[in-house]
Amino acid sequence: MRRRIGALALAVALLATLTSACARDPDHLTLRVLASPELADVEPLLDRLENDTGVELEMTYEATADLAGRQPPAAGKPSYDLAWLASDRSFQLRVQDSGGRLARPESTSVMRSPVVAGLTPETAAALRANTPGGRITWADLADAAADGRLRFGMADPRRSDTGRAALVGVATAAAGTGSALREQDVSCDRLRGFRSGQSLTAPSSRALLDTYPKDQDAADALIAHESELLALNAGGRLAHPLEIVHPDDGMVLSDFPLLLLDPAERTAYRKVTDWLLSADTQRELMRRTFRRPVNRDVEPSARLRVPVGNALSYPDRLSIVERLVDDYGDPAHPTGDQVVFLLDFSTSMRGDRIAALRAAFAGLSGADRTTTGKFARFHRGEILTVVRFGGRVLQERTVTVRGDGDLETLDRIVAGGGFDDATAVWSALDRGYRIAADAVRAAPERPVALVLMTDGENNAGLTYAEFLRRHERLGAAADAVPTFTVPFGEADPEALERAATATGGRLVDAGLSSLSDAFKEIRGCH
Amino acid sequence: MSVTGRPTIDEPRLTTRRVRRRRVPRHVVAALPLALAGLISLLVSGNTLRPFEQITTLEAKMASKSDFFKDPEVQRLLLRHGIRVDIHRLGSRGIATQSLKDMDVVFPSGQPAAKLVLDRQDRSVRSARPFVTPLVLGTFRSYAETLVRAGVATPQGAAGGDTLYYDLDMRRFMGLLDGRDGGRSTADQDGDGKTEGADTWNGIGFDTAGGRSNSGRVLVRTSSVCESNSAGTYLSLLAFVANRNSTPGTQNVNDARLAQDAVTDLAARIKPLISLQGMWADEQADSYLSDLGESIAPLSVIYEHQYLAHQIAHHDRHGRQDTDRVLLYPTPYTLTEPQLISLTDRGDRLVRILEEDDALRERALELGFRVRDSDAEEDTGERLDAYLRDHGIQVPVPNTDRTKAYEPDLDVLERIIDYVGSCPPPAKDTP
Repeated sequence: MRRRIGALALAVALLATLTSACARDPDHLTLRVLASPELADVEPLLDRLENDTGVELEMTYEATADLAGRQPPAAGKPSYDLAWLASDRSFQLRVQDSGGRLARPESTSVMRSPVVAGLTPETAAALRANTPGGRITWADLADAAADGRLRFGMADPRRSDTGRAALVGVATAAAGTGSALREQDVSCDRLRGFRSGQSLTAPSSRALLDTYPKDQDAADALIAHESELLALNAGGRLAHPLEIVHPDDGMVLSDFPLLLLDPAERTAYRKVTDWLLSADTQRELMRRTFRRPVNRDVEPSARLRVPVGNALSYPDRLSIVERLVDDYGDPAHPTGDQVVFLLDFSTSMRGDRIAALRAAFAGLSGADRTTTGKFARFHRGEILTVVRFGGRVLQERTVTVRGDGDLETLDRIVAGGGFDDATAVWSALDRGYRIAADAVRAAPERPVALVLMTDGENNAGLTYAEFLRRHERLGAAADAVPTFTVPFGEADPEALERAATATGGRLVDAGLSSLSDAFKEIRGCH
Repeated sequence: MSVTGRPTIDEPRLTTRRVRRRRVPRHVVAALPLALAGLISLLVSGNTLRPFEQITTLEAKMASKSDFFKDPEVQRLLLRHGIRVDIHRLGSRGIATQSLKDMDVVFPSGQPAAKLVLDRQDRSVRSARPFVTPLVLGTFRSYAETLVRAGVATPQGAAGGDTLYYDLDMRRFMGLLDGRDGGRSTADQDGDGKTEGADTWNGIGFDTAGGRSNSGRVLVRTSSVCESNSAGTYLSLLAFVANRNSTPGTQNVNDARLAQDAVTDLAARIKPLISLQGMWADEQADSYLSDLGESIAPLSVIYEHQYLAHQIAHHDRHGRQDTDRVLLYPTPYTLTEPQLISLTDRGDRLVRILEEDDALRERALELGFRVRDSDAEEDTGERLDAYLRDHGIQVPVPNTDRTKAYEPDLDVLERIIDYVGSCPPPAKDTP
């Protein structure tokens, strides 16, 4: 008996040495990971990671686009050891903005996937038929969304980094500069037409892709990562697989980085990244998640050899991205806007000028096939009022755009109708503000703007001073309504500039380009 | 793995919170005497624990030069000296501006960052500059050929259509980058009847050859100018050329105010060439050499060694060169000089080994570095050329115009970097 106890004591002593060795070289470790919801598809691989490396990842799939409110503290232990995101761009920009308060964490790209569009076969065929060379662009999608041919689903850019990447992609294409968005590009909201086609949203693209198969009539297209759309197609829950389109005007590429938030866990972090980047794991990740491998030794599968097109540059300031996201607003409650056009129909407009005006309206109704035209056009849900004026209001008509018929009605008003000898600019603007004030009172959440186009000086009706007094009396309802003025021909640009500035709008000179361009520029900004 | 020669002070929380203690199964207990016997016999023979005792793990911060220390052959050679290097990856300027606590060595990729580190040391330190490598732009054949047609690049050598190298006239090239079209008519890309106000790839004819299209601007992608040596070196190259091929900060040396204004003015002129790319992206070479490289960026700032290492590996594996990826050698040219700086006694040993071990230097050559010869300070290219020739890789030829862009003085460069990148202030080590 005594001998047995002795042996046991020896064994315990040995065990103690072994466990203390383990503590020095921990064979098991748990790291807490704040992950994007999209990455839940790696979960089945995590057991193998634990077996191979002794590191267990405890995933919390709640990461938002820039880890807002969950950034690691400047000092002390962060509540998560790692973050695994679809993209860390917004977060890195936040770190940059912190002026050195936040340290830049080590970051390792694990996989890649572009943000693209998945279209139902009919929608894809219809769009392609309409596109020269069959190469579909974001502008084509925006165009189709504006006239009701396309209803799409996209994750909420305020929360999801996939939704945010999609929004940056579309906005960059809309700005059309060929480089990253700048402040001046997002000072105008060019995405209203695009947005009018959004019929489905969710807090994350994972939730979006989970919802869609239950109601496949809710959208004709989904905007998400190529990988998520391929996985959806492979999941067998769709009546017809979505056709994946890599838009010709570029895409934003996500690289699914793993970030080390707690530098004390660097050894384990290294083990995990080495394992994730190993050829075997990369092959398995590709097979399961349809993301493209970053390990060059791994041959991408056939579906993942499709060219992704050109990557769009990402803005270098968080404020630019935030402005874009704010302007886009809540995708679940899209609010159409209202525009009141005050159009001068004095006799001097006869001939070329009225032809230019008609062309501008036709362009905005969908005839303009340029990139900017596709983004700036009239769209579904928009309320448009046309006021023709001479020495007095000649005609007034308001339509809510539901289809092409409504746009044709508007075009007919602009095309037909007689002219008048006088030009009552300020009376017309006063009338515009009464319409606007009524609209604001009826639906305060709906933005309203005025566009005043004239080719002559005021020679009838109210004086500018009288107009200002009346405008003042309208009070709060008129305050948020800017006027964009478009001088044409012999108009008085100084007077129009004054009126625009007084109401928070802007003067856009049609003489410098054309009436069509002036209207397009305003539509990006109202 | 972390049984090291250094006194180990483990955080106790690891043992209490993190380690999952498994109950020891009965059969393990049963096998214990056997294991014990084995261990004792090994201890008696005396040669088991020794290798572990001798291995020292050094903590090191480095950027792209981790390519060298991560190489399995380099790791094997260092193990022969009983050394393992644990790499903390960080941009070179990031290394220089952040805390160096607990580090044994740092290996910034170039001299500006190395000088910043050296300036912060109060003791004299051991360091080595084992190799140099030129700064280059990595691109793809169709883009390089577009630049040839635009009159800013010239193919090297008589290799015909398959040359890997092009010379790039930086002055003319910068005319494409500046966001203006320089008065030339560029293409009307989106069919809206308006000519684009900047040089885009399609605008300089990318889409006229071979049905491909890129409506993006001609832009060079870099890492963060605040963090990386390659971006900082590229910036000093732009500054040198914009300053009419002379080193910024060398004018008006007698009037501090004038000199300062001239530098700010220069920084303002070159800022758009960097900022038009939008957000920086780390690990340029990784992106460039990846499958999606051409989609990610047509032009990336990288180091020559990263490209040559890729070509050597590609040739070993496929028996031929990768002729899609090609290099642009800027004229004027610029060389980067990584410096291994020791911060501890253990670090001193690594520096000495790197200086003395011929096998390590030979391996550096195989990884595409221009290895400094101890006898011939200046001649750093010939051995590399010979190695490339022997391994079926085209040898890059120095441009006949050997104008070298020198980096400005550290404080001048720092001002340019801060202006262009609006960088956060450097962290100070708490004493």
